[in-house]
Amino acid sequence: MENIRVMIVDDSSFSIAVLKRMLQKDGLEIVATALNMNEAIQKAQEIKPDLITMDMTLPDGDGIECSQEILKHLKDTKIIAISAMMDEEIIQRAKKVGIKGYLQKPVDQTDLDSAIERLFEGEELYGVLKNNFEEAFKESIFSFLKREIGGEVVVEKIDAHPTTTISSGISVAIGSIGRHDGRLIMDMSEATALGMTRKILQDDGQQIEDAINFLSEFTNVIAGNACSLLNGLNRSFGLRVSPPTVFRGKDITISIGDIMSESFVIKTDLGDVFMNVGFQKGDVEWM
Amino acid sequence: MDVAIINPFIASITEVMPQLGFENINLTDQSEKSKKIVASGIVLTLGIVGDKKGNVAYAIDTEGAKQIASIMMMGMPVDELDDMAKSAISELSNMLTANAAINFSNDNITVDISPPTMLTGESIELSMSRDKIMCVEFDIDGIKIEINVALD
Repeated sequence: MENIRVMIVDDSSFSIAVLKRMLQKDGLEIVATALNMNEAIQKAQEIKPDLITMDMTLPDGDGIECSQEILKHLKDTKIIAISAMMDEEIIQRAKKVGIKGYLQKPVDQTDLDSAIERLFEGEELYGVLKNNFEEAFKESIFSFLKREIGGEVVVEKIDAHPTTTISSGISVAIGSIGRHDGRLIMDMSEATALGMTRKILQDDGQQIEDAINFLSEFTNVIAGNACSLLNGLNRSFGLRVSPPTVFRGKDITISIGDIMSESFVIKTDLGDVFMNVGFQKGDVEWM
Repeated sequence: MDVAIINPFIASITEVMPQLGFENINLTDQSEKSKKIVASGIVLTLGIVGDKKGNVAYAIDTEGAKQIASIMMMGMPVDELDDMAKSAISELSNMLTANAAINFSNDNITVDISPPTMLTGESIELSMSRDKIMCVEFDIDGIKIEINVALD
């Protein structure tokens, strides 16, 4: 838990001193303290801390109001309420304004540690995911095609892909859902899908319906294998794949610009396959 | 028709749409379809995993989508479905499905949802990997929205 910059908001300088000591023990950097709401709002905007511990009773307002005001301008700052009073009603109000957790005073060091850890592990995990998902999906599709279709299989990354892509005929979308959620889109022409189906089943009588079933299962295997690889790197990803949805038609445009994603063209002897895969950062709603 | 599966989505529409500024929400049709669905305009699908597994697909025609995007963007005129308008519609599908997930959790069914996939085109044929698909159609201030749920 290094490099986390914290601001402590509390109307008691004694409480500030106690929290300061506990947070420093964890290696967090205390960048500001505030004794009231006005000071807190002003300092938060200036200093932009990663984490704020927020008392609920302040001389010029309350912690809910103060958090709401701060979060209006600082979307990435996480706030944990630390207060002597705690009941269901105030917890609900805290959740509603976007406070991430609630600890009752006197705070236990272990509780504080685990709350902060849970809150920030997502950031680190997302970094690991970002650095590894590309390889996992490339590896997954390459080995599938090499094994099942054979011949030449080349995976090429498309640098700076546009925000939309035109379907070549059949598209499949699969969600991968976990600590951070993502999506896999696979696209190919009907001819390519038919060719692959016929080759794998060694049956030239296979029709487009069979090709749709093939493509659906193909995408499922690619997503499943890649997510297993990623889960193997860190179990906290907890990725599970949703069932595939297959789209077929002429002139279908697929939007791919909404989340951080990478696109690839996989060249095979039976035609090109387009693959787009991406993830978005999931947030801890409440601890 | 499995009401336990479709009701959370119906409730979601009636809860979320008024918050966005829509007034007249009418359920116009409810049916069960087989595996294939044909839709034109905009189609958004989201994956669902957890105690129930499957997909949901929302279909809105292009004109309706523009009107929705315009209302969601505080009345800004939307002449064509640009990235901003698409992003608004995408966010709507996310809100509706997340709300349905909360409704499921009230019945002690825990589900998680994936980011939406958005497609545009004419006569898009959808196969939703389940044989039975629950469909509901809404008329929302004159805009037709179709929700197809394949979940078990």
